[in-house]
This record gives sequence, structure tokens and C-alpha cells, in this order.
Amino acid sequence: MGDPHPKLHATDLTRTFGRPPRTVDALGPLDLTVAAGEFVCLVGPSGCGKSTLLRIAAGLLRPSTGLLEIRTTSRRPAAMIFQDYGIYDWKPVRANVRFGLDVQRVPRREANARADAWLTRMGLADFADAYPATLSGGMRQRVAIARALAVEPELLLMDEPFAALDAQLRTILQDELLELTQSTRTTTLFITHSLEEAIVLGDRVLVMSARPGRIIAEHVPPFPRPRTGDIRATAEFTALKSELWDLLRKEAAPA
Amino acid sequence: MTTIAPGRESTLVRRPGPEELHPVRTHRRRRALELSLAAAVPVLLVLLWQLAATQAWIDDRVYPAPSTILADGWDRAAAGDLWPDVWATLKRVLAGYALGTAAGYVLGLLMGSLSLVRAAFEPLLDALYVVPKLALLPIFLNMFGLGEGPQVALVATTVFFFVWISTMSAVIAVPSGHRDAGRVFGASPWQMFRHVLLPASLPSVLVGARIAAGVAVLVIVASEQIAATNGLGHLIFDSRALFQNDVMFVGIVCVAVLGVLFSELVRLAGRLLTPWAPKDRGREQS
Repeated sequence: MGDPHPKLHATDLTRTFGRPPRTVDALGPLDLTVAAGEFVCLVGPSGCGKSTLLRIAAGLLRPSTGLLEIRTTSRRPAAMIFQDYGIYDWKPVRANVRFGLDVQRVPRREANARADAWLTRMGLADFADAYPATLSGGMRQRVAIARALAVEPELLLMDEPFAALDAQLRTILQDELLELTQSTRTTTLFITHSLEEAIVLGDRVLVMSARPGRIIAEHVPPFPRPRTGDIRATAEFTALKSELWDLLRKEAAPA
Repeated sequence: MTTIAPGRESTLVRRPGPEELHPVRTHRRRRALELSLAAAVPVLLVLLWQLAATQAWIDDRVYPAPSTILADGWDRAAAGDLWPDVWATLKRVLAGYALGTAAGYVLGLLMGSLSLVRAAFEPLLDALYVVPKLALLPIFLNMFGLGEGPQVALVATTVFFFVWISTMSAVIAVPSGHRDAGRVFGASPWQMFRHVLLPASLPSVLVGARIAAGVAVLVIVASEQIAATNGLGHLIFDSRALFQNDVMFVGIVCVAVLGVLFSELVRLAGRLLTPWAPKDRGREQS
């Protein structure tokens, strides 16, 4: 990564929880550089601080030491998609998608137009006036994705967005997200437990160690863009997956 | 949290804040601030009251200065005039609370676990629940005559309803997975109660018990004003009739202290009984 102007740059980042003498080192030290338009996937065992890193990038949490810099033109460059959807049950689908725009005080007419465009793109146009409780899990997560992308974020943060979905739906949403991000080219940090997901979606796959999470390996899936979900059937895909699993198994197994 | 540095390309920086750089110091300061706020607000209000009384903004015969109340309370406590009333109230509250809690828990448990018992009693108890318990005092006076009986019965009835409702809803709310696991292992009704229903329902039962503790004090003071010859409620009303407003305020302060101590005691007991439950800090209602 010889980029002199990376989109996101973390130096010596750590995060500790609790107060002395009972502290838990959750993250780092970790260095990370993400270029503009890059899709970076982070995989690692449970509790390795993946989400902590994402929350620091989102500005929900401060690092204990180190710096994380985001090159941007706006004050709030990031949008985040949570595992448990984070969409509001009391807002109809269109109002949910519009939420970020409403917060930014985009005029109602324009906000509705942008929300509807995203709903159409996600295949949710018929459900614009429905409440989220009436939707299936996959549709709810599509709403969450539409809400995040509607604000046209410079940085998209996804925290295991498909973890609560069944395996078939996961694959379908992975393919949809792949198509979507290849057209928007939004800089993305994507956290997942699924190696398959990471390889399909990522320009780079970073493997994190057990707690405190550090980056122990970096792999570039050998599939040129634009790619499709069909790469799951290739021999390279299987080879990379088992290589990553060998790395991860050592970290995931209790010491 | 974030700063945009000036320059051609703005950079958003996430860096450690004071809480991260000095965790111990920040936490200590935060705690100190919380504690001083908790102490400062009541102290300030009392000082304001004191000032208003000494400056004659308010009539200090009707609203005696806090210093007068404190001195008077101290004298009465030292002379032993106060304790008989405190003790009388305490006895009634404790007796009524014990009876009401036991009855409410047993019935709540039965109605929570057996739908037929629930069907039989729920409409009746719902109807009785909304009757102001103080309106039952005349009935208790007829039943038990003068003396301790009606007072204890009134507290017991009040407490009963709080504990009954919270126990019943807690038992109904025990996740079916917990019951199923017990059933598959072949747990007898007693084992089911001992290992599953009791611990699963205890946290919310204790919340009900703590609310009931506050209400018990509330009710006893009201009923002592109507039909008792001693106790703090009697003291408050009696001294007002005699225009001893400072004694009246001593009584009110004693009731407040009694109520706080009692409900904190129940909460402490609850904490010891349910070490697995999240700490209950709120004072949901009272």
C-alpha cells in the first residue's frame, strides 16, 4: 500500500477496558491502512476486538492509545450497519431509510426521492410503508444497508451484518452487496466470522489474532473486479479458504 | 471526540480522550462529582429552608427552621419521648409486611403456575386490587376491634397485592425453555419450584417486595392518623392538632428515614439472595 493519502490510517491503536487493576486489553497494538474505495474484510475469533476497532472508526469509542485518522470532507463520514439491524421498529421502511438524511436536514422531498431510489435498488419498493416488524430478517437487513448507503457515506462500517441470517440468505445478500459495492466503490471495513464472506467481498482479507486483537496476516483474494459470487466454486477460492482457516484455527482454539 | 485539522485535506482524528489517558483519575473525579451532587442538592434545599425561616420569608411557626426541627428531634430522642412511637410503627410495618409478603408470594406462585387457580382468583383479586386499601380500614376495625389488629391487617393487605402481582407475572414470564428442561429431566413439582421457578422469579419478586416496603410505611402512617393512639402517624397528626409544628416535622422526618432504611434493607437482602441478577438501582415507582 504505497498510497500517500489513505482513506483510513490507524497507528499503534490499542483499546483497554476497565480500570486498573482489573483491565482487559481488547485491541492492538494495531496498524491499518485502507485506501480510498477499498473493501477490507476483518476476520478473527470471537472477542478479538474486531467490533472495538469498528466502533473506534465510527467515533462511538475512543482508543486507549494511538491514533486513527480518516481523510474526509465531511464531519460525519461514516455509516455503520449493525449485526442486529439497528433499524427502528417504530418507523416505516421509507422513514428508516430516510433517517440519516433527516438527521442531516436534507429537504423532505429530496430525502424521500433518495430513499425511494435506494428502496427500489434493494427490491423493497413495495414495502416502503410497511413497519420493519412485518419484514423477514433478510429484508430488514436490506433496509439497514439502504439506510447506510442513502447518506452516501465516505466510509462504510459493517459489523457482522449477515450473522443473524440463515446460510442461504447470507449467500444471496453477499452477492447483492458485492454487486452494490462494486458500483458505488465506497470505502468499506467489513467484519465477519465467515471466511467465505470475507474472500467473496474483500479486496483484502485481514486475519486478527485472539485478544488483544492484532493483525497477523493479510491476504489478497486473487479474483479481479468486477467479480461475482461464482468465484466460490473455483479452486483458488477453496485453497485460500483453507489457508485462512489454518491461521484462524490456532487463534480460535482455546489456549 | 473528533477534530478536523486545517489544511488542504481535512483529517478526522480519533484519539484517546481524558478518560482513556487517565482512567483512574477520571473515574475518581466522576464518582466524587456524583457523590457531591447527591449530597449537595438536599443540603442546599435544607439551607434554603433554614434561610427562609430565619429571614422570616416563611412563618416559622408553621414551617419551623430545620435547625429547630433537628434540635427538637434530638431532645425528644434523648428524653426517650420519640422511641415508643417509632417502635409502635415499626412493629406494625414489620408484622404486616411479613404476613403480606408470605401470603402474596404463595398465592402468586400458585396462580402463576396453575392456570385453573389463576382463572378462579384473578378477576376477583383484580377488582380488590383497585380498592384503596385505606377504605378497608373501617372493615378491619369492625373485624379486629381497636388495637394492633386493624393496622397490621391493613399493611398486610397492601403488601399482599404488590407481592402477589409481581410474583404471578414473574412466574408466568419464566421462559418455557427453563420449564421444559426441568420437565425432560423429570423434576417433581417441588424440584421444579426449588430449582427453576423460585430462582427464575426471585429478581422481579424482589422488585415488587421493595416497592411494597415503601408503600407499607406510607399506608401505616395514614392509618395511624385515623385509628391509633401511638405511632409516627399519630404523632404527626396529634402534634399538628396541638399546634406543635416542630414535633410534626420531627415525625415526618422519622417516617422518611424509616421508609428509606426499610426499602434499602429489602434491596440489600435482594442483592444477597440473587447474586446472578443485574443490580437493581432504579426506584421504578413507589
